Amino acid sequence: MDAHDLTAAYALDALDADEAEAYERHLSQCDECREQLAELNETATALAFSTVAPAPPARLRASILDAAAAERTNVVPLVRRRWVSRGLAVAAAAAACIAVGLGVSLSQSSHAPQKWTVAVGQNGKATISVSGLAAAPQGKTYEAWVIPTGHAARPAGLFSGSTSAVHLSGTVPQHAVVAVTLEPAGGSKQPTTTPIFSTPT
Amino acid sequence: MNRQLAHLSDEALVALAARSEQSALAELYDRYGRSAYGLALRVLRDQELAEDAVQEAFLTVWRSASRFVPERGKASTWILTLVHRRAVDVVRREQRRRADSLDPAAEPSVEGVEEDAFLRLQRERVQAALRHLPDAQREALELAYYGGFTQSELAERLGQPLGTIKSRMFGGLSRMRELLGEPGTETSWTPTT
Repeated sequence: MDAHDLTAAYALDALDADEAEAYERHLSQCDECREQLAELNETATALAFSTVAPAPPARLRASILDAAAAERTNVVPLVRRRWVSRGLAVAAAAAACIAVGLGVSLSQSSHAPQKWTVAVGQNGKATISVSGLAAAPQGKTYEAWVIPTGHAARPAGLFSGSTSAVHLSGTVPQHAVVAVTLEPAGGSKQPTTTPIFSTPT
Repeated sequence: MNRQLAHLSDEALVALAARSEQSALAELYDRYGRSAYGLALRVLRDQELAEDAVQEAFLTVWRSASRFVPERGKASTWILTLVHRRAVDVVRREQRRRADSLDPAAEPSVEGVEEDAFLRLQRERVQAALRHLPDAQREALELAYYGGFTQSELAERLGQPLGTIKSRMFGGLSRMRELLGEPGTETSWTPTT
Protein backbone atom coordinates (compact mmCIF):
# COMPACT_ATOMS: atom_id res chain seq x y z
CA MET A 1 0.00 0.00 0.00
CA ASP A 2 1.31 3.42 -0.86
CA ALA A 3 0.56 5.53 2.20
CA HIS A 4 1.42 8.66 0.28
CA ASP A 5 -1.96 8.87 -1.43
CA LEU A 6 -4.01 8.31 1.73
CA THR A 7 -3.80 11.87 3.01
CA ALA A 8 -7.26 12.97 1.88
CA ALA A 9 -8.88 9.81 3.21
CA TYR A 10 -7.09 10.24 6.53
CA ALA A 11 -8.21 13.86 6.76
CA LEU A 12 -11.80 12.69 6.25
CA ASP A 13 -11.38 9.84 8.79
CA ALA A 14 -12.15 7.45 5.93
CA LEU A 15 -9.44 4.88 6.68
CA ASP A 16 -10.02 1.72 8.67
CA ALA A 17 -7.91 1.18 11.80
CA ASP A 18 -5.08 -0.71 10.06
CA GLU A 19 -4.83 1.78 7.22
CA ALA A 20 -4.86 4.72 9.63
CA GLU A 21 -2.07 3.18 11.67
CA ALA A 22 0.04 2.56 8.57
CA TYR A 23 -0.57 6.11 7.42
CA GLU A 24 0.43 7.54 10.80
CA ARG A 25 3.69 5.59 10.64
CA HIS A 26 4.31 7.02 7.21
CA LEU A 27 3.42 10.49 8.44
CA SER A 28 6.19 10.46 11.00
CA GLN A 29 8.72 10.16 8.17
CA CYS A 30 7.16 12.31 5.46
CA ASP A 31 7.29 16.09 5.75
CA GLU A 32 5.36 16.52 2.54
CA CYS A 33 2.43 14.48 3.82
CA ARG A 34 2.42 16.31 7.15
CA GLU A 35 2.13 19.62 5.36
CA GLN A 36 -0.53 18.38 3.01
CA LEU A 37 -2.46 16.80 5.85
CA ALA A 38 -2.53 20.06 7.81
CA GLU A 39 -4.14 21.74 4.79
CA LEU A 40 -6.59 19.01 3.92
CA ASN A 41 -7.53 18.50 7.55
CA GLU A 42 -8.54 22.12 7.82
CA THR A 43 -10.63 21.84 4.68
CA ALA A 44 -12.27 18.61 5.82
CA THR A 45 -13.16 20.30 9.09
CA ALA A 46 -14.91 23.07 7.16
CA LEU A 47 -17.48 20.40 6.33
CA ALA A 48 -18.41 20.44 10.01
CA PHE A 49 -19.68 23.96 9.51
CA SER A 50 -21.90 23.09 6.58
CA THR A 51 -24.40 21.22 8.68
CA VAL A 52 -27.29 22.84 10.49
CA ALA A 53 -26.40 22.83 14.14
CA PRO A 54 -29.22 22.77 16.66
CA ALA A 55 -28.22 24.05 20.09
CA PRO A 56 -26.96 21.20 22.27
CA PRO A 57 -28.85 20.63 25.51
CA ALA A 58 -27.64 22.97 28.28
CA ARG A 59 -26.76 19.96 30.45
CA LEU A 60 -23.97 19.03 28.05
CA ARG A 61 -21.91 22.10 28.92
CA ALA A 62 -22.32 21.50 32.64
CA SER A 63 -21.56 17.82 32.24
CA ILE A 64 -18.30 18.51 30.39
CA LEU A 65 -17.13 21.14 32.87
CA ASP A 66 -18.02 18.98 35.87
CA ALA A 67 -16.14 16.03 34.42
CA ALA A 68 -13.14 18.24 33.64
CA ALA A 69 -13.09 19.61 37.19
CA ALA A 70 -13.37 16.12 38.66
CA GLU A 71 -10.36 14.92 36.70
CA ARG A 72 -8.18 17.71 38.07
CA THR A 73 -9.45 17.20 41.63
CA ASN A 74 -8.17 13.66 41.50
CA VAL A 75 -4.64 14.81 40.95
CA VAL A 76 -4.10 16.57 44.25
CA PRO A 77 -4.93 13.98 46.94
CA LEU A 78 -2.22 11.65 45.65
CA VAL A 79 0.34 14.26 46.55
CA ARG A 80 -1.39 15.03 49.81
CA ARG A 81 -1.21 11.45 51.04
CA ARG A 82 2.53 11.43 50.52
CA TRP A 83 2.91 14.48 52.71
CA VAL A 84 5.37 13.10 55.27
CA SER A 85 6.99 10.39 53.23
CA ARG A 86 10.53 10.80 52.04
CA GLY A 87 11.33 10.87 48.37
CA LEU A 88 8.12 12.45 47.27
CA ALA A 89 6.96 11.43 43.85
CA VAL A 90 7.03 14.59 41.84
CA ALA A 91 6.13 15.46 38.32
CA ALA A 92 9.05 16.55 36.22
CA ALA A 93 9.01 20.26 35.73
CA ALA A 94 9.99 21.61 32.37
CA ALA A 95 13.67 22.38 32.71
CA ALA A 96 14.84 25.99 32.81
CA CYS A 97 11.44 27.48 32.21
CA ILE A 98 8.59 28.54 34.37
CA ALA A 99 7.10 25.65 36.27
CA VAL A 100 3.48 25.83 37.17
CA GLY A 101 1.72 23.61 39.66
CA LEU A 102 -2.01 23.54 39.77
CA GLY A 103 -4.58 21.97 41.92
CA VAL A 104 -8.19 22.07 42.87
CA SER A 105 -9.42 20.90 46.22
CA LEU A 106 -12.95 20.88 47.46
CA SER A 107 -13.52 22.87 50.58
CA GLN A 108 -15.22 20.87 53.30
CA SER A 109 -17.30 23.74 54.50
CA SER A 110 -18.60 25.23 51.29
CA HIS A 111 -19.57 24.26 47.79
CA ALA A 112 -17.16 26.66 46.18
CA PRO A 113 -14.18 24.72 44.82
CA GLN A 114 -10.84 26.19 45.67
CA LYS A 115 -8.55 26.73 42.79
CA TRP A 116 -4.85 26.92 43.46
CA THR A 117 -2.07 27.86 41.13
CA VAL A 118 1.62 27.88 41.96
CA ALA A 119 3.86 29.74 39.57
CA VAL A 120 7.62 29.37 39.99
CA GLY A 121 9.82 31.81 38.11
CA GLN A 122 13.19 31.00 36.65
CA ASN A 123 14.80 32.63 39.68
CA GLY A 124 12.98 30.21 41.98
CA LYS A 125 10.67 32.85 43.42
CA ALA A 126 7.16 31.49 43.68
CA THR A 127 3.64 32.84 44.00
CA ILE A 128 0.58 30.95 45.10
CA SER A 129 -2.71 32.16 43.69
CA VAL A 130 -5.92 30.91 45.17
CA SER A 131 -9.59 31.57 44.63
CA GLY A 132 -12.53 30.28 46.65
CA LEU A 133 -10.56 30.03 49.90
CA ALA A 134 -12.45 31.08 53.04
CA ALA A 135 -10.72 33.43 55.47
CA ALA A 136 -8.76 31.61 58.17
CA PRO A 137 -10.86 31.07 61.33
CA GLN A 138 -10.26 33.22 64.46
CA GLY A 139 -6.90 32.40 66.03
CA LYS A 140 -5.67 30.55 62.92
CA THR A 141 -3.60 31.42 59.90
CA TYR A 142 -2.78 29.77 56.60
CA GLU A 143 0.86 28.87 56.27
CA ALA A 144 2.68 28.09 53.04
CA TRP A 145 5.47 25.51 52.95
CA VAL A 146 8.24 24.59 50.59
CA ILE A 147 9.35 20.97 50.83
CA PRO A 148 12.51 20.15 48.85
CA THR A 149 12.62 16.50 47.80
CA GLY A 150 13.63 14.36 50.75
CA HIS A 151 13.79 17.28 53.18
CA ALA A 152 11.65 18.72 55.94
CA ALA A 153 9.11 21.41 55.20
CA ARG A 154 10.36 24.99 55.31
CA PRO A 155 7.93 27.79 56.33
CA ALA A 156 7.36 30.09 53.35
CA GLY A 157 4.87 32.66 54.61
CA LEU A 158 1.61 33.28 56.45
CA PHE A 159 -1.61 34.57 54.94
CA SER A 160 -5.17 35.11 56.06
CA GLY A 161 -7.11 33.82 53.07
CA SER A 162 -8.43 37.23 52.12
CA THR A 163 -5.56 37.71 49.70
CA SER A 164 -5.60 35.91 46.37
CA ALA A 165 -1.87 35.94 45.62
CA VAL A 166 0.81 34.99 48.11
CA HIS A 167 4.49 35.53 47.37
CA LEU A 168 6.53 32.84 49.03
CA SER A 169 9.62 33.72 51.02
CA GLY A 170 12.89 32.18 49.84
CA THR A 171 13.14 30.17 46.68
CA VAL A 172 11.61 26.91 45.53
CA PRO A 173 14.17 24.29 44.44
CA GLN A 174 13.37 22.18 41.41
CA HIS A 175 10.86 19.39 42.10
CA ALA A 176 10.06 20.76 45.56
CA VAL A 177 6.51 20.42 46.83
CA VAL A 178 4.59 23.55 47.71
CA ALA A 179 1.87 23.10 50.31
CA VAL A 180 -0.50 25.06 52.53
CA THR A 181 -1.79 24.15 55.98
CA LEU A 182 -4.00 25.81 58.58
CA GLU A 183 -1.91 26.67 61.64
CA PRO A 184 -2.35 28.49 64.97
CA ALA A 185 -2.02 32.28 64.65
CA GLY A 186 1.64 33.23 64.35
CA GLY A 187 2.44 30.13 62.34
CA SER A 188 4.34 26.94 63.09
CA LYS A 189 7.87 25.77 62.46
CA GLN A 190 6.62 22.50 61.02
CA PRO A 191 3.15 21.74 59.68
CA THR A 192 0.78 20.52 62.39
CA THR A 193 -2.28 19.81 60.25
CA THR A 194 -3.01 17.99 57.03
CA PRO A 195 -2.36 20.23 54.04
CA ILE A 196 -5.41 21.76 52.42
CA PHE A 197 -3.36 21.98 49.25
CA SER A 198 -0.10 20.61 47.99
CA THR A 199 1.46 20.19 44.59
CA PRO A 200 4.78 19.26 43.10
CA THR A 201 6.42 21.98 41.06
CA MET B 1 -19.55 32.76 31.61
CA ASN B 2 -16.19 34.42 31.92
CA ARG B 3 -16.30 37.09 29.24
CA GLN B 4 -12.78 38.19 30.15
CA LEU B 5 -11.61 35.42 27.87
CA ALA B 6 -13.71 36.53 24.91
CA HIS B 7 -10.84 38.48 23.37
CA LEU B 8 -8.42 35.56 23.40
CA SER B 9 -7.62 33.46 20.35
CA ASP B 10 -8.61 29.80 20.29
CA GLU B 11 -4.95 28.86 20.54
CA ALA B 12 -4.45 31.03 23.63
CA LEU B 13 -7.47 29.34 25.21
CA VAL B 14 -5.98 25.90 24.56
CA ALA B 15 -2.75 27.07 26.21
CA LEU B 16 -4.76 28.19 29.24
CA ALA B 17 -6.67 24.92 29.30
CA ALA B 18 -3.29 23.16 29.38
CA ARG B 19 -2.72 25.02 32.65
CA SER B 20 -6.01 23.67 34.04
CA GLU B 21 -7.86 26.93 33.51
CA GLN B 22 -11.40 25.65 33.42
CA SER B 23 -12.90 28.90 32.19
CA ALA B 24 -10.79 28.49 29.04
CA LEU B 25 -12.39 25.11 28.37
CA ALA B 26 -15.79 26.70 28.95
CA GLU B 27 -15.02 29.44 26.44
CA LEU B 28 -13.87 26.90 23.84
CA TYR B 29 -17.09 25.02 24.38
CA ASP B 30 -19.10 28.22 24.02
CA ARG B 31 -17.38 28.84 20.68
CA TYR B 32 -17.43 25.34 19.21
CA GLY B 33 -19.83 23.25 21.26
CA ARG B 34 -22.70 23.93 18.94
CA SER B 35 -20.82 23.11 15.75
CA ALA B 36 -19.38 20.06 17.48
CA TYR B 37 -22.82 18.87 18.51
CA GLY B 38 -24.27 19.53 15.05
CA LEU B 39 -21.46 17.51 13.49
CA ALA B 40 -21.79 14.62 15.93
CA LEU B 41 -25.55 14.59 15.43
CA ARG B 42 -25.18 14.56 11.67
CA VAL B 43 -22.86 11.55 11.80
CA LEU B 44 -24.53 9.65 14.63
CA ARG B 45 -28.18 10.67 14.18
CA ASP B 46 -28.81 10.07 17.85
CA GLN B 47 -28.84 12.82 20.47
CA GLU B 48 -27.45 10.77 23.31
CA LEU B 49 -24.58 9.34 21.26
CA ALA B 50 -23.86 12.81 19.89
CA GLU B 51 -23.67 14.27 23.40
CA ASP B 52 -21.30 11.50 24.46
CA ALA B 53 -19.07 12.10 21.46
CA VAL B 54 -18.89 15.84 22.12
CA GLN B 55 -18.18 15.28 25.81
CA GLU B 56 -15.40 12.80 25.11
CA ALA B 57 -13.85 15.12 22.54
CA PHE B 58 -13.84 18.12 24.88
CA LEU B 59 -12.40 16.02 27.70
CA THR B 60 -9.66 14.95 25.30
CA VAL B 61 -9.02 18.64 24.67
CA TRP B 62 -8.79 19.14 28.44
CA ARG B 63 -6.44 16.21 28.98
CA SER B 64 -4.15 16.77 26.04
CA ALA B 65 -4.20 20.55 25.63
CA SER B 66 -0.53 20.67 26.62
CA ARG B 67 0.33 18.53 23.60
CA PHE B 68 -1.45 20.78 21.11
CA VAL B 69 1.05 22.29 18.65
CA PRO B 70 -0.28 25.53 17.13
CA GLU B 71 2.19 25.32 14.24
CA ARG B 72 0.49 22.18 12.99
CA GLY B 73 -2.98 23.61 12.67
CA LYS B 74 -5.74 25.68 14.15
CA ALA B 75 -7.25 24.85 17.50
CA SER B 76 -10.75 24.79 15.99
CA THR B 77 -9.59 22.20 13.46
CA TRP B 78 -8.11 20.11 16.24
CA ILE B 79 -11.27 20.23 18.33
CA LEU B 80 -13.63 19.39 15.49
CA THR B 81 -11.29 16.65 14.25
CA LEU B 82 -11.49 15.07 17.71
CA VAL B 83 -15.28 15.28 17.61
CA HIS B 84 -15.46 13.82 14.12
CA ARG B 85 -13.06 10.99 14.86
CA ARG B 86 -14.99 10.08 17.96
CA ALA B 87 -18.32 10.15 16.13
CA VAL B 88 -16.98 8.03 13.27
CA ASP B 89 -15.50 5.50 15.72
CA VAL B 90 -18.85 5.16 17.42
CA VAL B 91 -20.86 4.90 14.22
CA ARG B 92 -18.59 2.13 12.99
CA ARG B 93 -18.57 0.31 16.29
CA GLU B 94 -22.29 0.53 16.69
CA GLN B 95 -22.76 -0.64 13.14
CA ARG B 96 -25.51 1.88 12.90
CA ARG B 97 -26.93 2.53 9.51
CA ARG B 98 -25.21 5.67 8.47
CA ALA B 99 -26.52 8.88 7.12
CA ASP B 100 -26.93 8.70 3.40
CA SER B 101 -26.18 12.18 2.21
CA LEU B 102 -27.87 11.47 -1.11
CA ASP B 103 -31.09 11.19 0.82
CA PRO B 104 -32.44 14.72 1.35
CA ALA B 105 -33.75 13.67 4.75
CA ALA B 106 -30.17 13.16 5.92
CA GLU B 107 -29.54 16.88 6.03
CA PRO B 108 -31.22 18.25 9.15
CA SER B 109 -33.80 20.87 8.40
CA VAL B 110 -32.91 24.46 9.04
CA GLU B 111 -36.47 25.24 9.99
CA GLY B 112 -37.04 25.94 13.65
CA VAL B 113 -33.32 26.11 14.36
CA GLU B 114 -32.09 29.41 15.70
CA GLU B 115 -28.61 30.11 14.46
CA ASP B 116 -26.41 33.05 15.08
CA ALA B 117 -25.22 35.05 12.12
CA PHE B 118 -21.70 33.66 12.30
CA LEU B 119 -22.78 30.05 12.07
CA ARG B 120 -25.23 30.79 9.27
CA LEU B 121 -22.53 32.55 7.29
CA GLN B 122 -20.10 29.66 7.72
CA ARG B 123 -22.72 27.18 6.68
CA GLU B 124 -23.68 29.10 3.58
CA ARG B 125 -20.05 29.46 2.49
CA VAL B 126 -19.21 25.82 2.90
CA GLN B 127 -22.44 24.72 1.24
CA ALA B 128 -21.72 27.04 -1.69
CA ALA B 129 -18.26 25.50 -2.04
CA LEU B 130 -19.76 22.00 -1.95
CA ARG B 131 -22.20 22.94 -4.70
CA HIS B 132 -19.31 23.92 -6.92
CA LEU B 133 -17.80 20.44 -6.78
CA PRO B 134 -18.46 17.81 -9.42
CA ASP B 135 -21.21 15.49 -8.17
CA ALA B 136 -18.90 12.48 -7.83
CA GLN B 137 -16.44 14.41 -5.66
CA ARG B 138 -19.18 15.89 -3.49
CA GLU B 139 -20.72 12.48 -3.01
CA ALA B 140 -17.40 10.96 -1.93
CA LEU B 141 -16.74 13.75 0.58
CA GLU B 142 -20.23 13.68 2.04
CA LEU B 143 -20.44 9.92 2.38
CA ALA B 144 -17.00 9.75 3.95
CA TYR B 145 -17.32 12.73 6.29
CA TYR B 146 -20.96 12.64 7.32
CA GLY B 147 -21.63 8.97 6.65
CA GLY B 148 -18.49 7.66 8.32
CA PHE B 149 -17.79 5.23 5.47
CA THR B 150 -14.24 4.04 4.93
CA GLN B 151 -12.71 4.38 1.48
CA SER B 152 -13.06 0.61 0.93
CA GLU B 153 -16.73 0.71 1.90
CA LEU B 154 -17.24 3.62 -0.48
CA ALA B 155 -15.57 1.74 -3.32
CA GLU B 156 -17.90 -1.16 -2.77
CA ARG B 157 -20.98 0.94 -2.27
CA LEU B 158 -20.38 3.08 -5.34
CA GLY B 159 -19.08 0.20 -7.46
CA GLN B 160 -15.83 2.01 -8.23
CA PRO B 161 -12.17 1.00 -7.93
CA LEU B 162 -10.48 2.12 -4.72
CA GLY B 163 -8.14 4.35 -6.73
CA THR B 164 -11.12 6.25 -8.12
CA ILE B 165 -12.49 6.85 -4.63
CA LYS B 166 -9.11 8.12 -3.43
CA SER B 167 -8.91 10.48 -6.40
CA ARG B 168 -12.40 11.80 -5.79
CA MET B 169 -11.69 12.48 -2.13
CA PHE B 170 -8.37 14.14 -2.87
CA GLY B 171 -9.76 16.13 -5.80
CA GLY B 172 -12.82 17.17 -3.82
CA LEU B 173 -10.88 18.37 -0.79
CA SER B 174 -8.31 20.19 -2.93
CA ARG B 175 -11.02 22.00 -4.87
CA MET B 176 -12.86 22.83 -1.64
CA ARG B 177 -9.66 24.27 -0.30
CA GLU B 178 -9.33 26.57 -3.30
CA LEU B 179 -12.94 27.65 -3.07
CA LEU B 180 -12.78 28.31 0.67
CA GLY B 181 -9.46 30.07 0.30
CA GLU B 182 -11.13 32.81 -1.63
CA PRO B 183 -11.69 36.04 0.27
CA GLY B 184 -14.39 36.04 2.89
CA THR B 185 -14.40 32.33 3.51
CA GLU B 186 -12.53 32.17 6.78
CA THR B 187 -14.00 29.38 8.85
CA SER B 188 -12.48 29.98 12.22
CA TRP B 189 -13.94 32.01 15.02
CA THR B 190 -12.70 35.57 15.00
CA PRO B 191 -12.01 37.16 18.37
CA THR B 192 -14.09 40.19 19.17
CA THR B 193 -12.16 43.28 20.06
